[in-house]
Amino acid sequence: MPSASSSASGASLSSGPKTLTTNSSIYDIAHTVWQQYLATTPQRTLLLDAFMAFLVLVGGVQFVYCVLAGNYPFNAFLSGFCAAVGQFVLTASLRMQTSGSSTSTSTSSVGSGAKGKGKKGISVEGGAEEGAVSHERAFADYVFGSLILHFFCINFIN
Amino acid sequence: MQWSLSFLLFCFLAVVHALSSSGNRLLVVLEDAAEKDLYFTFWSDLEARGYDLVFQSPKSDQLSLFDLGERAYDHLLLLPPRSKGFGPSLSPKNIVDFLNKDGNVLLALSGKSTTPSAISSLLLELDLHLATDRSSVVVDHFNYDTLSATDKHDVLLLQRPGQLRPDTKAYFDGEGVLALPNAAPHTLGDNSLVAPILRAPATAYSYNPKEDVGAVEEVWATGSQLALVSAMQTRSSSRFTLLGSVESLQDKWFSATVKTPGDGKETTTANQEFAKQLTAWTFKETGVLKVGKIEHHLAKDDLTSEDLNPTIYRIKNETVFNIEVSEYSYDKFVPFEVPANDALQLEFTMLSPFHRLKLEPSSRTENSTIYSAQFTVPDQHGIFSFRVNYKRPFLTNIEEKHEVTVRHYAHNEYPRSWKISGGWVWIAGLWSVIGGFLAFVFVWLYSEPTSAKVKKTQ
Repeated sequence: MPSASSSASGASLSSGPKTLTTNSSIYDIAHTVWQQYLATTPQRTLLLDAFMAFLVLVGGVQFVYCVLAGNYPFNAFLSGFCAAVGQFVLTASLRMQTSGSSTSTSTSSVGSGAKGKGKKGISVEGGAEEGAVSHERAFADYVFGSLILHFFCINFIN
Repeated sequence: MQWSLSFLLFCFLAVVHALSSSGNRLLVVLEDAAEKDLYFTFWSDLEARGYDLVFQSPKSDQLSLFDLGERAYDHLLLLPPRSKGFGPSLSPKNIVDFLNKDGNVLLALSGKSTTPSAISSLLLELDLHLATDRSSVVVDHFNYDTLSATDKHDVLLLQRPGQLRPDTKAYFDGEGVLALPNAAPHTLGDNSLVAPILRAPATAYSYNPKEDVGAVEEVWATGSQLALVSAMQTRSSSRFTLLGSVESLQDKWFSATVKTPGDGKETTTANQEFAKQLTAWTFKETGVLKVGKIEHHLAKDDLTSEDLNPTIYRIKNETVFNIEVSEYSYDKFVPFEVPANDALQLEFTMLSPFHRLKLEPSSRTENSTIYSAQFTVPDQHGIFSFRVNYKRPFLTNIEEKHEVTVRHYAHNEYPRSWKISGGWVWIAGLWSVIGGFLAFVFVWLYSEPTSAKVKKTQ
């Protein structure tokens, strides 16, 4: 992958974050976005994204198994699948609460020109009203909600 | 003292009741006392089998089937009357009442005299039909006795009847020929309580000797449509037997020598044996079923007395049902054997049967057979009943109903999730989510909160 891109925009890559030209390929766009994401996202947000990807994988495997093998202990399927989905939702809200302010600080430090994703654009606007929820408070809510979710799921799977 | 007296009395009664399963008081209604001697062997056979014979004329004032509202006799034997009927004490209503009170009736008719209309209307109530002229005789030009009825052909010679159907017991079979002189025929209605014992052969027809018409003009019934001996068993298992030929019970025919037109061999009749079978069946010496112990329980090995006949079962329980059935045979109860093509069945019903299972003989005691069936209680809760409903011709009815409750699973009777291997993937999924969450929390707490520092400085 680097060999294909280096010939097209090798000179521009060395200058770090830059704007793409209008006729660059989809692959280039994706690669640039990925690089941008890795470079600009704080460590905790990366961790959140990794966890959410894991949850999508676990939920997907459970759903595929249900389609293939049937839903016989249906409560087990509901419980396992909903645990993955619920955890994903909770994690997403934690990401919205924590990465919003962090991206606002990072965007203010980096500059308004770096807008990789639409999500970040929304968080920029969210970051305007600052100090709505502190990170510690958001994390405590997240842990509390997750524990309730796990409690219900374990009970339901019997 | 009193106890020993009553015990002695009980023993005495047991000896007296040694024969019929339903009492030994037999009333014989006989119009002409002189006729009594014609049946001497028949009476002595009955007395030898333990019956108390009381002879009464139908005109007698003391004659009453009931005494203070109860049956005065256990069995009734009616010989054909000479006059217009049996009189007021033996009206059709009284005889039907007698049957309803579990009395047994053997009615003998004769083709010699016209049957009174009172008897005809009694038989109509039991769905047995006589010919309209009520004085017909069965005639057969192929199965008659060449020695005594050379011209008239009205002494029928018949084989002893076998099974009525392949799935019934034969109570009247055996070797030998029956001679039925002057038999009055009847036909049977379409009624499950009525069963023929002996039918006329296919070549027989009914003929009124009082009419001088040479040919039979209006045929009422012919051949094996005509029944000569029939039985009717009421729903309460009391019995009524109609015998077409009273002469066949006479001493003369008990040991007569007869000859069929075909082979020309002389044989003696088997009437005595047949009369014994017929009276034994009618007066409940044979074909009487008794239900003994009924047990149902869960199918498990170590049973205690508390486990027997529980009032409540759970759905999908494995259940065993046992029923003990005996059959009375002349003077004792013997193990009941279901006929070869028949089955004793158990139903597990709530409104309609959820199971109808064949009960198989599982063990045998000295005088009973124990039939069992094992089944899984259906997946439906409610009030169910174990039912055994066995109603067959010539056997007394068995109708047993035992109610039980069937409940559904209690919440702690379902299998735990890990017992079902199909759910292991989802269980693993749930626990990997929880494990992932814990790892995430751990890493989160130890990761560098870069943005938080920036935020705090702001």
